[in-house]
Amino acid sequence: MGKEATTKPPYQILAYVTLNRERVLGGNVLALLAANEEEQKQITQDIAKSLKAEVTQLKCGDYLVYRI
Amino acid sequence: MRSDMISSEHLATMVTALIVGFFARLVTIKEDYRQYPSYPNGYLIHLVTGFVAAALGAVAIPAIMTKNFVAVTFLTLAIQQFRDVRRAERDSLKDLENTEFTPRGDAYIDGIAKTFEARNYFALVVALVTGVAMQLSSHLAQWASVSIGAVVGLIVLFILKRFSKGKTVGDIADVKLGKVEVKDSELFVDGMFVTNQLGTDRARELFEKEGIAAVIVPREEHFRITLDHFGQRQAILFEATRAVGVKRYNFTRKDYEQGRVIVTLVPIVRSEKAFIEAIKRTPLLESTKKSHSVMKTNFWGEE
Repeated sequence: MGKEATTKPPYQILAYVTLNRERVLGGNVLALLAANEEEQKQITQDIAKSLKAEVTQLKCGDYLVYRI
Repeated sequence: MRSDMISSEHLATMVTALIVGFFARLVTIKEDYRQYPSYPNGYLIHLVTGFVAAALGAVAIPAIMTKNFVAVTFLTLAIQQFRDVRRAERDSLKDLENTEFTPRGDAYIDGIAKTFEARNYFALVVALVTGVAMQLSSHLAQWASVSIGAVVGLIVLFILKRFSKGKTVGDIADVKLGKVEVKDSELFVDGMFVTNQLGTDRARELFEKEGIAAVIVPREEHFRITLDHFGQRQAILFEATRAVGVKRYNFTRKDYEQGRVIVTLVPIVRSEKAFIEAIKRTPLLESTKKSHSVMKTNFWGEE
């Protein structure tokens, strides 16, 4: 379902996988730096599978792993 | 001793009214097949409560005719009982919410529970009217009185069924298959953005190969109010997923420009016909219904 004004889906960001060192920030969410695109995809897929999570690829190429 | 016994005339009234009232519940129970959590037990529970409702309606007239006016107050107990039926049904469906492919939603559950309550009133009213008709025709031969009672009861049942019959999505909108397109993480149906949750190659492949989508186009502008209702869309998605199953992903999306509603998912059984038919047959929820003519009414008598 799409987001509704009256409902608050409990989104939870689980991991952020990037190739850019400058986007690896501290905080609650696990931010991982991959060596190359292949590794980035593999890390994302492994995390999503093990945590039964959803994945979105941002326009900048980074992956966001989250649970709804 | 014999004066305490019920007369054969009243016995005939009660039995006929009971049978016709129970029949009313029996025929209306079939229409709920989509809404049943479990067939055999669901049937049994509702047939038994229907029988009780018919019995309460059936004994009302003989109770009045024997000047037992206090006994008629049990009809209020019956109403309380039927409210409990509604509550029980609602609780039962809510308990099942987490086990379904997608949740029915509170609006749909409320509608189903109200329907169950109303169907018990069918049995009660039909039995009551049958009893009244038999009493009014009691000067005729008993077979004639029974026949008149049964016919009047069935006519009332027909009227009640017509009165309570709701409309479906197919009555107010055209439902057709949509074209699924995947561009990077984004999913489009008939050129309309739906989601960007397809982050992995596997997800993209899965949706491109197996994804199915329906586009619901309202026939009138004001039907958008009904179709855009969150509860209504939840109900549509629920019926669609229950018809074809969900392997992975399910989304609905509103198109504000043209008023279309998109329903898309990756089904277990790819049956386009069943998918479209399930959406078309989704009932319009009572809570979302708006009377267009009432909205136009000029209450103040102004030009």
